[in-house]
Amino acid sequence: MKRRGLSIVLASTLLALAGCGSSGGPGGDNASPSASPSAAPSGSASASASGEQEQVELRISWWGDQARADLTNKAIELFEQKNPNIKLTGEFAPFDGYFDKLNTQLASDTAPDIFFLGGNVIDYANKDVLLDLGPYVGNELKLDDMDPTMIEYGTVNGKLIHVSVGANARGIIVNKTMFDKAGIPVPQDGWTWDDYARISKEISDKLGDGYYGTYNFTTDGMDIYLKQNGKQLYDMANNKLGFEEADILPWFQYWDNTAKAGGVVPIELQVSNPPDDTGKSLLLTGKVAMTLLPSNNLVTFQGLTQDEFTMVQLPRGPKGTGVVFESSQGISGFAKTKHPNEVAKFIDFIINDPDAAKALGNNRGVPVTSANRAALVAEASPADKIVYDYTSRVSEQTKKEPFAISYNPPGNAEFIKLSDNTVQEIGFGKASVEKAVQGFYEGTVKIFESNQ
Amino acid sequence: MRTSRRSPAHLQNGAAYLFLLPWLIGFFCLTLGPMIGSLYLSLTKYNLLNAPEWIGFANYAELFTNDDKFTQSLSVTFKYVFMSVPLRLIFALLVAMALNKGIRALGVYRTVYYVPSLLGGSVAISIVWRQLFGGDGAINRFLGWFGVKGPYWISHPDYIMYPIVTLAVWQFGSSMVIFLAGLKQVPSDLYEASQVDGAGKLRQFFRITLPLLTPVIFFNLIMTVINSFQAFTPAYVIGDGSGGPLDASLFYTLYLYLEGFAYFNMGYASALAWIILAIIALLTGIIFATSRYWVFYGDGKEGR
Repeated sequence: MKRRGLSIVLASTLLALAGCGSSGGPGGDNASPSASPSAAPSGSASASASGEQEQVELRISWWGDQARADLTNKAIELFEQKNPNIKLTGEFAPFDGYFDKLNTQLASDTAPDIFFLGGNVIDYANKDVLLDLGPYVGNELKLDDMDPTMIEYGTVNGKLIHVSVGANARGIIVNKTMFDKAGIPVPQDGWTWDDYARISKEISDKLGDGYYGTYNFTTDGMDIYLKQNGKQLYDMANNKLGFEEADILPWFQYWDNTAKAGGVVPIELQVSNPPDDTGKSLLLTGKVAMTLLPSNNLVTFQGLTQDEFTMVQLPRGPKGTGVVFESSQGISGFAKTKHPNEVAKFIDFIINDPDAAKALGNNRGVPVTSANRAALVAEASPADKIVYDYTSRVSEQTKKEPFAISYNPPGNAEFIKLSDNTVQEIGFGKASVEKAVQGFYEGTVKIFESNQ
Repeated sequence: MRTSRRSPAHLQNGAAYLFLLPWLIGFFCLTLGPMIGSLYLSLTKYNLLNAPEWIGFANYAELFTNDDKFTQSLSVTFKYVFMSVPLRLIFALLVAMALNKGIRALGVYRTVYYVPSLLGGSVAISIVWRQLFGGDGAINRFLGWFGVKGPYWISHPDYIMYPIVTLAVWQFGSSMVIFLAGLKQVPSDLYEASQVDGAGKLRQFFRITLPLLTPVIFFNLIMTVINSFQAFTPAYVIGDGSGGPLDASLFYTLYLYLEGFAYFNMGYASALAWIILAIIALLTGIIFATSRYWVFYGDGKEGR
């Protein structure tokens, strides 16, 4: 009898096991709609009138702050009004946790139908989780007006798996107010890295304790530096690293020297107040005068302070500025989505519909279609105009000095972490530049190989 | 007639199993199942998105021969455990003894001191801690009154461990409550007798209180050690979330999390998980093994 009792328990446990094993599936489809705006009221009526259109629910996720969420939700609302049979549920998270969450969702097949990706497209493209949008081009998804380089950027291994929704160009963001205070003229395009180091030091010296010329952007500017010297981070055509240890050593040395001269934010402050964190950035509090940022950040930054910002091209290296107009972020579909047509339709709406462009503005970068760019230029704010002015200067520059589009190497998150660690090792005096860079290069090779 | 006699026993067993069922389901589904799963994954190369690929013990080999971060995270974690566990236990014992002096409104104090234990693991408190210990946070301002220029506690690799340990010590509440219960068990006639014999307070503490408390200390020690090895939130939130600055907040659990969910090495992360399980089991075993030399059970049955 005892045995029978036990077997009942075992059997039911097995059942339960089976139950919890297969719980992945489409369960996430009815996630709470808290973040979604009110659905279009006329939706169901017109859909049932046309008869054939079934109701479709899609999930979409992105990273960013509340301001970006408001803009995105506005665009989603417009899309729902124009497509009453589709309901979109938005989810967003801060950048820090966004990809961890997305990775988990992808692994358990509960990923949103549509999600935003940034410079790490390759990491996902190589893992077959992105929807091939090729079949929808020309039908649901029209790319005729889109910049060819942007289409090329989203095409990996011959498949269109990513559509950029915003373009930007990185540049030096300059706090003009601080330059005025220090009595130093605002730098002009065409300057060199020596100028950059010198001006950084002058700012620090003139403004005194607690004020600094620049953040340390060894990591963010690494690919640009390599391009300025005829190398690249990741040689995608040959699937290998595009640089040697000796190519990158001078870059770390440059920053070490500039920091020792006194023009750079101390490493402790750099760690505690990262430049792109709008809650803590010392650029916004008027303590740091320059750093490297993507152009779309200027509008956000300008909205948060009285100080006046502007953008200058990067100091030049032997081959030029190394900066191109590049995708800031874009949309991909989940390979296992049940409604690929609707996903394509939404992407089309975001890049082609002027109302979407107006709702989203330049928050994720300048629109990728010329029609939408024109729609936004018409009602640009002063900060927007600085961005347009800067990006058009970059466009002009790249006509004279073209640079190929480039991707971050696979294993991007780990690589960034390694690079930041190397900068800190040097900054905190834990290792000599040569030794730190040696470790950096070995680590880079290892990350690259383990992500093949 | 045999059935009629047996059926109540059978019913009883059935009922018992029925009540055990929720735990059993939890155990098999949420503990044993995933553990077996992770054992398998630890023997594979698994990037989270494609099917795992069998590679035998390569992950473990890599761990022990070619991974500085593994050693770094172990050393960070051990440093944390060896600093925070004794401090927390001593602090808890001191507060418990203070509360055991027969003060009024004991219940209120007990609750108040217990609250940090409930809150301490939360993200919100970790953020508060970040602010307190920030470059121009409250702690440094306080130090500034005495002319001391405090370091950047959070963003300097040499100092970040201290805020994290302080947070752990601050969560002394649950150990304290158990100590308090232990202290109440010490018969007061022992103190009276020793007082008659002329023993001072200090002698009483070391000769009576401490020996009689050893079973409680033993229990608290085991629980705190296990918990400390699993600390994650303080490292994740007080540090920069990826072990920085310079991997000084790269706790073992955090490293495991990053490898698995941020760096696409879930197989490797699973191997890491099994190593830490082995380490915790080993340490707990050592504490158990030594317990018979220092744990004193009042009923005369020394240990087990």
